[in-house]
Amino acid sequence: MSVIVIAIASESGVPIFSRKRGNNENIQFSTIASLHGINMFSKCHNLSMVDTHVDSGTIIWKEYCKSVTLIGIATGGLECDLELLLSCVHDVMVFSVGKKELENIKNIDQLKRDLRQCYPILDYLLESLDPNVVSSPFPTLVLDLIQSILCPQAQQLQQALDIYAENVTGRWACLAIHGHLVATSSDFTELDPREARLMLLLAAAQDGAPLRDTPVYLPQMSPDVAFRAVTCKLLADVYVIVICGATPPLSQIDEIVLQCWESYAQIIKEAKLVYPRNFPMSITFESSVLGILLININKRRCVFSRHLHTLNQKSRSISGAHRMDILRTFYVTTARDLAPELKVKVHKSEEAGGSTVQDQEDCICETYWTSEYHKCHGQRSGNMLCCVLYASTVHIHTMRMITNQILQELNTNKEIYW
Amino acid sequence: MNKQQSKSNYESPCDSDNDWTNSSNDSKYSDSESSVPEWDSDVGDDGELVYIKIKYNNNAIEDTNTPLLENCETFKLRNNFKRSSTRRSTKGRIFKVLKVHKAKNADNSGKKKPVPQSDSSKKLEDDKSIVIQVSKNMIFNSEKNCQIEKLFGLSLATHPNGKILVVEDFLIEAYAIYTPRIKKGYYLQKVNGIEVNPYNINNVLQRIAEDPYNPKLTFETPKDVVTVDLFKLLTSKDIDNSIIQLLRDSMCSVLYICCNDVEYHNNDDKGVLYCYPRPYNQNFLYNTRGAYVTLCHLAPKSLGTSEPTTSTVLHNEKLINVTYTSHYNDLLLIAFPNKQLDLFAARRVTIDVVRMLEFLYGSLKSCFTKPNNVDKLDGMFCRMFGVLLFSDSNRDVAGNIDISTSRIEDLLGAHAVTLPLDIRVQVDDAITELEAADYREWTDDVENFQRLYTVIGSCLYYSEHLLSSHLQDEDLKEINAFLKLNGVLKLSVDKELEKLVVWKEVFINEHRKFNNSDDNDSRIPDGRWFLLVVGKGHFILATLMEAGGCTEDAVGATPPSPFYVEECESCLALLYEVGLDKYLSLWFSANTQPQLETSPEYLTKYGRKMRDVNSLKSDTALKSSTLKLSKQTLGDVKKRHNSSEQINVASNSSDTNASNYGSHHNLYAQWYNGSQKQYRHSSNLDISYSEDSNSLKSNSEISDDRVQGRRADREQKNRRESSGSDSDWDRQEVNRMGSSIDMSDIRKSLLNEIDRVTTHRITAGDDNVLFHFVQFESAKGILIAPVKNIDIQANNALYSYIIKTFRTACKRIHDLLQHSIRFKANQTSTNPLNKILIAVKEYGMLFQAPVQLLNQCGVNKKNSETFQFWVVGRVFSEPEPKELYLCYHESIPQDLTEVAYLLSYLE
Repeated sequence: MSVIVIAIASESGVPIFSRKRGNNENIQFSTIASLHGINMFSKCHNLSMVDTHVDSGTIIWKEYCKSVTLIGIATGGLECDLELLLSCVHDVMVFSVGKKELENIKNIDQLKRDLRQCYPILDYLLESLDPNVVSSPFPTLVLDLIQSILCPQAQQLQQALDIYAENVTGRWACLAIHGHLVATSSDFTELDPREARLMLLLAAAQDGAPLRDTPVYLPQMSPDVAFRAVTCKLLADVYVIVICGATPPLSQIDEIVLQCWESYAQIIKEAKLVYPRNFPMSITFESSVLGILLININKRRCVFSRHLHTLNQKSRSISGAHRMDILRTFYVTTARDLAPELKVKVHKSEEAGGSTVQDQEDCICETYWTSEYHKCHGQRSGNMLCCVLYASTVHIHTMRMITNQILQELNTNKEIYW
Repeated sequence: MNKQQSKSNYESPCDSDNDWTNSSNDSKYSDSESSVPEWDSDVGDDGELVYIKIKYNNNAIEDTNTPLLENCETFKLRNNFKRSSTRRSTKGRIFKVLKVHKAKNADNSGKKKPVPQSDSSKKLEDDKSIVIQVSKNMIFNSEKNCQIEKLFGLSLATHPNGKILVVEDFLIEAYAIYTPRIKKGYYLQKVNGIEVNPYNINNVLQRIAEDPYNPKLTFETPKDVVTVDLFKLLTSKDIDNSIIQLLRDSMCSVLYICCNDVEYHNNDDKGVLYCYPRPYNQNFLYNTRGAYVTLCHLAPKSLGTSEPTTSTVLHNEKLINVTYTSHYNDLLLIAFPNKQLDLFAARRVTIDVVRMLEFLYGSLKSCFTKPNNVDKLDGMFCRMFGVLLFSDSNRDVAGNIDISTSRIEDLLGAHAVTLPLDIRVQVDDAITELEAADYREWTDDVENFQRLYTVIGSCLYYSEHLLSSHLQDEDLKEINAFLKLNGVLKLSVDKELEKLVVWKEVFINEHRKFNNSDDNDSRIPDGRWFLLVVGKGHFILATLMEAGGCTEDAVGATPPSPFYVEECESCLALLYEVGLDKYLSLWFSANTQPQLETSPEYLTKYGRKMRDVNSLKSDTALKSSTLKLSKQTLGDVKKRHNSSEQINVASNSSDTNASNYGSHHNLYAQWYNGSQKQYRHSSNLDISYSEDSNSLKSNSEISDDRVQGRRADREQKNRRESSGSDSDWDRQEVNRMGSSIDMSDIRKSLLNEIDRVTTHRITAGDDNVLFHFVQFESAKGILIAPVKNIDIQANNALYSYIIKTFRTACKRIHDLLQHSIRFKANQTSTNPLNKILIAVKEYGMLFQAPVQLLNQCGVNKKNSETFQFWVVGRVFSEPEPKELYLCYHESIPQDLTEVAYLLSYLE
């Protein structure tokens, strides 16, 4: 598989950056110019290329803010929503330099330099698409969802986050363990889920730094005015991220952190134990369940788990990473149909044909795959979408029953707190 | 008088204007001497022929959804009238009689406005319905004594969907009343506020005649009546500008670019060898070709991907799918509007187009570089877009083009149906006889008579459904593409053909491959190949012939040989003789093999209740009338039900439950009586089946005395007619199809069983939960599915919804399953495939019918019950890749492997 993202200043045609992942060669400048040329040429003829398919791959052009053109190329059987990826890339760009800067490019070299700081985030994004590194510590397995851990401590941690956010005069704070969202402050839901995910990515990209602040532009909420994102490492692999104003200074925040979080160390340690199972221990699964992907559709949060059973992990034939990849591919290609609201908006100009498709998707309520080695089943119940990976010996009707049970339990279990 | 003349013109057998040939000779009239075939004068300079004559006075059932209209007296008259002066009608018949057409245009040029169809695309009527009041005092002169014409001064026709009345013409006196507000092609919606349709119009008219008030007519503007008059396009050399404009507006386009340097510079148009529609500068594909060409070069060289296959572009607020086909250095681009042909369809159609062009011209290059070929290509692409985009069957009731009707059945391959075995034997036998081409029948001078052609194989269609194919897989795919894209198959559905003869030189797949590979040990003779298509009624018989090798060499322009045309015609005549046409028209509406549940609401709780109530009613009625139904039969039925049945069998219970008590027969009893049943037996299948019991008479007869009755009659007749036929002889006959013994007598006797229709079920469980299925074998290019118009037959909103959903879902499932198929077909693919998707062999989706729809169908009284159904697709990779798509109700789980297994017995 390989994926390439190229950013070009639309007007001048100057390449801004190009990031790639996979086994392909670096893109030549002349190729970038030709690709941009195709887009410019067709634009002159009042024609816009929506997407182009090659054998097991896609090429798309997308212009943002009328100033930056992103080109995405995915090949080698990579199943991903390229359009979604490009819009994520654009989000990252706005996140680090602000929308104004992108809309009105004055000094392209300056912009190039400014954008260099978001390379790590972009690389994580691309890396997460690669099935070979599913076990990477910076999980964005599914581009449009925030990967989370469900733990019983989440409620207590929320209180701590609320206090912390108040003390640093911020509103939106969250706690991440191993890059997974664990708990949020009460106001956190005001943020767009994509902004929330950018915060997690930021924390992941700043790995190692105990305390740091970064100016960020929230693409939806305030694309023009920068906030301050303060990331703080509490324990190994545990970060707390807060978005606040210019004050208090970093040195003061250091004290506040100590003040707020000292007493929660034990709780955080307990919460850490939930990883990598990612579900509270009180929830048990049938032995035929090999992996699970639970999605809270409204909050755009998901929980992956492949360590469902405490014992005999090694005896399974399918490796853990592969299981995650199966579930992810199942979700991206198939189960996303169960939640049409998760889809990126189709083209505004999409004609009547598009709407009928939409109507039909609304009423899919279950879907499954049978492959040589495994089975996947996806079912939706209200706000919850559950994709389960089964052993290939499980029958379809058994599968439906188990998934149904899981969904019921997850909906009613008191230890689950999103 | 004038009318009379045109009528006689039409009826003359050599009215050569019925063709859509490109032949240039103007003096087309020829004598109808028996020695000269009527199509002789239409043979083109290059020997090719397209000759079509359509039967107009068809009393036979044209289509299974033929509206009752045909049976109404007023409308019969209407039909007669139509026949005598055929004109453009909104019924969208593809081919029309040009001569009559012209004459009519000339007649009315002073009085009547030009036809509305071509310009209506641009016109948007804001208010949809228009009310016209007609004075009661006016009585119009109707030559036909037609009630509608008398009262309203207009004549109506039925919309092809059978549910709508369409204004076909105005009487001259009434012209002022209607125009300009009403145009031909508008729908008559209401009369005095009562909604009218072909079924109730007579009653409504009756009431109006008695009513003293002035009748008020409400018309509806058809939303989008873009009907391409293909026939006109096909006959005249200069294509009407309005049609080109229509294609241009809808963004249909074809472009062939030669990208090698020499030709690029030599060519005035920068390497563009073919462009349609023209002029060049108005063709968006031509204007933007640089983008596609660049991309096509860039992708493999600089990006390391394959060449692009499709691009979706946005132009003038329209989404357009552009497909790429590269041929060495050249590039063929075809653009389709996404609204009518989605990406899935565009890809498949492009494959078919390339197939067809290679079949007809040998290669893409020679197709577009052949001198003086532009007109033919124009015609062909125009036909193609017309058939794909503007034919009436693609529209829903309101005239909108419905995207989902680019049906998966039409796109993937040749649509075949599972006919009963004995019927298939009949068909195969007739074709085999043709293929044998025993020329001793033609001449006494056998010694000096060398064959002109060897028949390589042939295939037979009925109403767009493939009945039998004796062709190689690739040849079938190519011939199917040719017939489909040229509209021949569609024509055979829409019209009853009196005669169709198409003769074309072709380049068969084997020969092309041989030429390319330069492999010298090929067994293909260096000859020429010809395709002969002969049609009659709804039958289309395509025969592939070879000249060269053991036959006479064909030199120069080779016109069709009357012998072979007649031979094909006689093959079709043979099928008529045995009554296959009648059988098929019945069979196509019978919903038997396997039986589908076309009333899905019966599977809900409420629906069951309804059915029980209904069946109770009819049950009592039945009992009173058939007390004769003996206990013995019932006991027999029970016994059969207890035994394990390999194939779930149910009587054709289209009407009631009660008819389930049909008589169930042991296969072997059947076999000893019917001669052809032996075939079944010899294959050792444990198939039980029941006889149709629609007719109570046959029920009682059979149950009274099981070996006597009709079957006994038949048996006796058998004995009488084929004197001394015993089972050994039959066996031989069946096993060696195509023996020279005349079998027509036996055929007749077999097809006497038309009214006995066997039904089969392929799903598990007591209830039939099967709504639809498609089985596709990609290697053969054949897919098996229920008849195309099954949703129209069912006439059920919920069922139509299910089928629509099924077809859309199938496309997605098909696309996903291709990973597995491609992986197995070609393990060492250069492009790495997704390693997860290649293992997926089954993909299912559970759908839920929307609540409003259930309410509308009267199923969901308390909003309590949901209606869920599965669409499941599975790929079987052994021995050849086979895909099965199934749509069934959620209540009974199904195993697709089992279903495939049972289905294979029906084949």
